Amino acid sequence: MSGVMSLNYVGGKKQMTKKIWALVLVSALTLSLAACGGGNKGGSAASEGDGGSKASGDKKVVKILHWKQENINKAMEEINADFEKKYPEYKVDYTTTGPDDEYKQAQRARITANDVDILADLSGMRLSPQDWTPGAKVPDWQQWIDSGLIADLSGQDFLKNWNANDIEKAGTYNGKVYAVPTGKVAMSGLFYNKEIFEENGLSVPTTWSELIQLGEDLKAKGITPIGVAGKDVWPLKLPVFALQAKILGGGDQQKWIEGVWKGETAYNDAEAVEVLDKMKTLQDNYMIDGFMGIDYASAPAIFATGKVAMLADGSWDAPTIATANPDLKFGYFPLPATEDAAKNASFVGKYDVTWYVTEKGPNQEGALKWLEFFSQPENYTKFVKAAGFIPTQDNISTDSEFIDKELTPYLGDFELAYEIMMINRENVGEHLAAEGVHTEYLAPGGEFKSAKELADVQQKEWEAAAPK
Amino acid sequence: MYPFGKGFARYLPFLLLLIPVALYVIFYFGPSMLTVIYSFTDVKNVPGSPVHFVGLDNYYDLFFSGNSGERWRSIANTLIFMLVVTIVQNGVALFVAVLINQRLRGDYFYRAVFFLPVVLGVAVVALIWGMMFDPLSGPVNMLYGWLFGYKDMFFSSFTHAFGYIIFVQIWMYMGYSMLIFLAGLQTVPKDLYEAGYIDGTSKWQSFRHITFPLISPSFTVNMLLSIIGAMSTFDIILATTDGRFNTRTMAYDVYKETFRGSLEMGLPSALSVIQFLMILAFVVFAVKQMRKREVEY
Repeated sequence: MSGVMSLNYVGGKKQMTKKIWALVLVSALTLSLAACGGGNKGGSAASEGDGGSKASGDKKVVKILHWKQENINKAMEEINADFEKKYPEYKVDYTTTGPDDEYKQAQRARITANDVDILADLSGMRLSPQDWTPGAKVPDWQQWIDSGLIADLSGQDFLKNWNANDIEKAGTYNGKVYAVPTGKVAMSGLFYNKEIFEENGLSVPTTWSELIQLGEDLKAKGITPIGVAGKDVWPLKLPVFALQAKILGGGDQQKWIEGVWKGETAYNDAEAVEVLDKMKTLQDNYMIDGFMGIDYASAPAIFATGKVAMLADGSWDAPTIATANPDLKFGYFPLPATEDAAKNASFVGKYDVTWYVTEKGPNQEGALKWLEFFSQPENYTKFVKAAGFIPTQDNISTDSEFIDKELTPYLGDFELAYEIMMINRENVGEHLAAEGVHTEYLAPGGEFKSAKELADVQQKEWEAAAPK
Repeated sequence: MYPFGKGFARYLPFLLLLIPVALYVIFYFGPSMLTVIYSFTDVKNVPGSPVHFVGLDNYYDLFFSGNSGERWRSIANTLIFMLVVTIVQNGVALFVAVLINQRLRGDYFYRAVFFLPVVLGVAVVALIWGMMFDPLSGPVNMLYGWLFGYKDMFFSSFTHAFGYIIFVQIWMYMGYSMLIFLAGLQTVPKDLYEAGYIDGTSKWQSFRHITFPLISPSFTVNMLLSIIGAMSTFDIILATTDGRFNTRTMAYDVYKETFRGSLEMGLPSALSVIQFLMILAFVVFAVKQMRKREVEY
């Protein structure tokens, strides 16, 4: 600053010298700042070069990128600490960002900069284009693998710890294993408050008409039946997943999805309209007033404090609900989509947190070591217990009453959700974007008075997005 | 003759000038030019993926693909946002500035109050108004219910959310425009008003014929800042509705397509080029109009 100030002196040779000195000082300052930046860059470039032994002290750093989800983050920190204890030569650098889109952005930035060794993805591998999907978008993970950014895990010993079917379904691409799905979650269920159900002599519905009856009974007693976080929009997809999986294609969702690409089924055919219509019935009659104003973070509290009898949410939120009110007795049942009780009695869901190891990251050897450590049943058990996932390793006992009593009975025909199976067309309109059918556009909040009107627009958008 | 002397000293300033020029080229001009170039390619945000020249394909996709209707709506939203924000924000700011310039008691206090939102920053502002506009428990809805027996969904309403965002944007930046007007008002010589007073001007006449022409440089600056600012706003949208409920603008789309859409960089680049051209057109038009009116007495 003083250098800049002296620039104001004018006249005299002495002052002139001073002036030049000031300029030199200022520029030296600038240069040294620039040099700082350059130095940092040089440092990380060097560490990329020498095959992943970036030293911090004399420890090798393993960089893990994940999103914020308190229960899981805590378990991860414990596992990382144990890992560092067992392998003192490593140090784990565990970074978390906000979930969803914010995470996606961080993922891209870090993988592009080769600045991450292990990264989580929001679900198992999904939406890879098939031969019946001409012109479909190639998902990020597949582009990364195709560009050689993801390490091939085939043949690693620790893969044997995992359920082969799950690895095949959610971690295998072109016959090679690139990812480890750490658990399954159910998305299509409703949490229910056992106390409210018992006090009013109500039982878990097994068919659509029983669900409607239940809603009427609750309303008659002045209790709001269902809560849902409409403000974030995506939670509205969850009950729809149940409807889609059980109704579309007569219960064969895959057939319907292939059909819509081939022009055999349509977004405005009877089944698709039934899905929207049933969701409209729920939204109009049984969901809490102003549900479009409830954000996802506050939904568990609304349920946990007994303001609603049921909550449409994924099974991963069970630990959060339990934290919000430790005394609450709650269960979880699949939303009954049809009149066929047997068909209704299974969950629809997805693979959650899925680990990828990067090919060009600074410390791949450490990353594999970490994944091996994570895969050991005792460490994995810790993780899966905290996360509330359905384990993807066999013979894991989670000691979780919620998983054993509420989820396991309905896992027989576990199906993947629409958003995992539906391969979208590129540039498809907003009423079908993000692998959803967007019931938020239905009246009264949205502009479509009936399910059919929305369905017709969706079909039009689907056709408009057809590859030319 | 040469203010810096002779010999090496003569070239020193140019050498030193190289530093900021280099920084500007590397961090600003270069990337801007790259954006223009990217808009004609299929470049992807994946290291090592091949790049091809695709001509005007990205521009064609913007306006003639399956979801282009939404693109047009974004453009319409951008224009509405720009017009309303520019007119209302500057109108209110000028009014408030004139009031504060009356040398009221406590003018410093008022000035600080009106300027405060500028200092808060977008995240805090979004949080404040998110709570104020909470449909279930927010005070504004209580007030609505009490006054009109009506409840609004605010940021979750397909029809009203965008209006509320415009309101918040104006609330947030009005103080900034006000400050510029205030600075302008304080440069108006008092003797002009005295001369006008002797000639028997009314309050309105002295505002219309003395104040307004003389603060037109501040007016120009404010108009330009609002036009450019409003047309490139995405932060308040991101923080309040995240583009849901028909609140997307071009700037939001650029952000969304670049960082959250597909890994393609060509399409969002094309979109930014179009956004830039639109801003440029409006700015050139506005400058031409306003330069005409600037006077000195």
